[in-house]
Amino acid sequence: MQIFLQTLIGGIGFGAIYALVALGFTLVYRTMGLVNFAHGDIAMVGAYIATTFYISTKLPFAVAMASAIICTAVVGLVIERVLRPLENKDFDLMLIGTIGFGIVLEALAALIWGATGSAVPSPVGTQPIHILGIYIPKYDLVIIAVAAVATVVLWLFLDRTKRGIAMQAVAMDHEEATAIGVHVGNSNAIAFAIGAGLAALAGGLAGPVLYVSPTLTASLGIKGFAAAILGGFGNIKGAIVGGLAFGILDAFAAGQFQGYSELVTFVAFAAVVIVRPTGIFGESTVNRA
Amino acid sequence: MNHRMNRWARIAPVAVLGVSLAVTGCAAPGGQATAATKPDTGPINIASISPQSGQFSSLGAWELKGVKLAVAEVNAAGGINGRKLEISVMDDQGDPTVATNLARKAVSDGAVFVFGSAMSGNTLAMAPILAGAKIPEITSGSSPKLATTGSKFLFLNSPPSTVFDQTLANYLVDTKAYKSIAMISNNGSYGKGEHDAFLAALAAKGVTPVANQVVTPDQKDFSSALTSIGQKKPQVLFIGAEEVESGLIAKQARQLGITAIIAGGAPLGTPVYLNTAGVKVAEGSIVSTPYLGNDTDAKTIKFAADYQKAYGEAPEFHGAKAYDGAEIVIKALLATNGAGGAKLAEAIRAVKYVGLVGTFAFDQTGIGVHATTIAIITNGKQIAVK
Repeated sequence: MQIFLQTLIGGIGFGAIYALVALGFTLVYRTMGLVNFAHGDIAMVGAYIATTFYISTKLPFAVAMASAIICTAVVGLVIERVLRPLENKDFDLMLIGTIGFGIVLEALAALIWGATGSAVPSPVGTQPIHILGIYIPKYDLVIIAVAAVATVVLWLFLDRTKRGIAMQAVAMDHEEATAIGVHVGNSNAIAFAIGAGLAALAGGLAGPVLYVSPTLTASLGIKGFAAAILGGFGNIKGAIVGGLAFGILDAFAAGQFQGYSELVTFVAFAAVVIVRPTGIFGESTVNRA
Repeated sequence: MNHRMNRWARIAPVAVLGVSLAVTGCAAPGGQATAATKPDTGPINIASISPQSGQFSSLGAWELKGVKLAVAEVNAAGGINGRKLEISVMDDQGDPTVATNLARKAVSDGAVFVFGSAMSGNTLAMAPILAGAKIPEITSGSSPKLATTGSKFLFLNSPPSTVFDQTLANYLVDTKAYKSIAMISNNGSYGKGEHDAFLAALAAKGVTPVANQVVTPDQKDFSSALTSIGQKKPQVLFIGAEEVESGLIAKQARQLGITAIIAGGAPLGTPVYLNTAGVKVAEGSIVSTPYLGNDTDAKTIKFAADYQKAYGEAPEFHGAKAYDGAEIVIKALLATNGAGGAKLAEAIRAVKYVGLVGTFAFDQTGIGVHATTIAIITNGKQIAVK
């Protein structure tokens, strides 16, 4: 029982990070019908920026994170601006464009910060909370809380603000949205900026539990992408559920299958996707590609 | 490289992006092919193949720093009978497939010698290619498998993990009389070597580990493995993994209330482990290492001063053993007057050398150093156990 609960807690902690990564993927896909393959790299750059502000300039962790989110949102805007001529015209080239930006970001990160990477001390101390024989790392609670707040804010923005509803309109039909006066380009730019901000949030939060290095791209990007697909690509609720499910699946696979955990995780993931190609909360309305 | 560039350049709207991508992203494994240098004249071409990017890049960075320091010294002193040593730096990204391709490239470039890889798995992948081309290599890897390739061209600049783990087991079981020992290791090449070697060393003493968990090299969350270990309340937790993962395991173990003494091989003696785990968590870790620190004797003090001057940071074990390896190759090249091939391999085997990480006397398997010492991390420094 202790192992079960402890594994669950470990899985939820990482699952919340995957959920944030999945949210960013989802938001951009939902609005533009585009999979942003630079997403994992943006998360990595966000993690580096947050780490730099937090360790080198000794800013409080929250301020460092906020700065990282703003910086990467700008990166997101730049990517969107460069790719804008292709929007609604050629999605294949846009996809390749995002892959290209990803490689550029990775190379830039290696140039600026070197390839060695750095360890990030936990901002809330390492002493865990001990209840009922279970150890809950305080920082895991921070991750879960931040992920929850980010989700609620994002949902409120999309559902309760004029701008958010306009973005949903673009997601449904960009031509009709244009006809009723919604600026599709701006809508896409906002989606990209928020997506990049979410990536930085995930990367920055992952810093103290992982090790910030260029490989963070693969650690976060691939599992976050898988989480988004598991939940149902393009679905906000799906991103959260998919992220948590993937984290928990990963944790239990590690416990049961030890060295083969990675294999088991992705085989299980493949099995789910074969049975339900649209993911848990799959919807088919946002397919614009 | 050219094919790649063309392919990207065809995509007109993202041409600018594509080209910069090809240049930045693909430059590392590519590079221009240089004609094989003629023997006896001109610079001597040696290759350094190690991870310079990715999770294991710190290993590659240390390796290169150690090698470059030794090479700069010999070049400043006139090189090998007037011929300078030239290092081509190649990035294997910690990936055996890339390492294999780079080994082929080193062969076609006419490299006389290869430093690398800093990773056992990559070295094992490159060994048959380099042995076939009769190019000697010195690896910073320490998997015992490296000694079983049968290659006459493969040398180790540090003891294999069997030696690390035998020394560690002797100390833990014989000296400290710990009986309750738990193990966690990854199933990568290095971790597997540690796992097998430590388990065998314990078995020889009649000790069975109370827990034996295996993780993957890329795993980040060890809750499940560590919780089952924690339930056994071990006195000692042996970690067999690379630097970053060792640090993450140690950190998470403490967060899960495991108070066991952490023990392991060389990775635990590095600054990366110290930073990833945190100084508080790393305190008291027992390390089996041939390199105790930068102020052990006159040789290490000089090395540390030179290293500090060249790179602005203090050296550690990996840089030290890479430096030793380079010194040995330089001695061998002086003996062969710059000639490579089987002659160079024989010359390397013949070198007797007291280095930073121990006394080198290579046997037929390519192992040069046959001993390690035990140190305890105290205030972030390795202090030798008397």
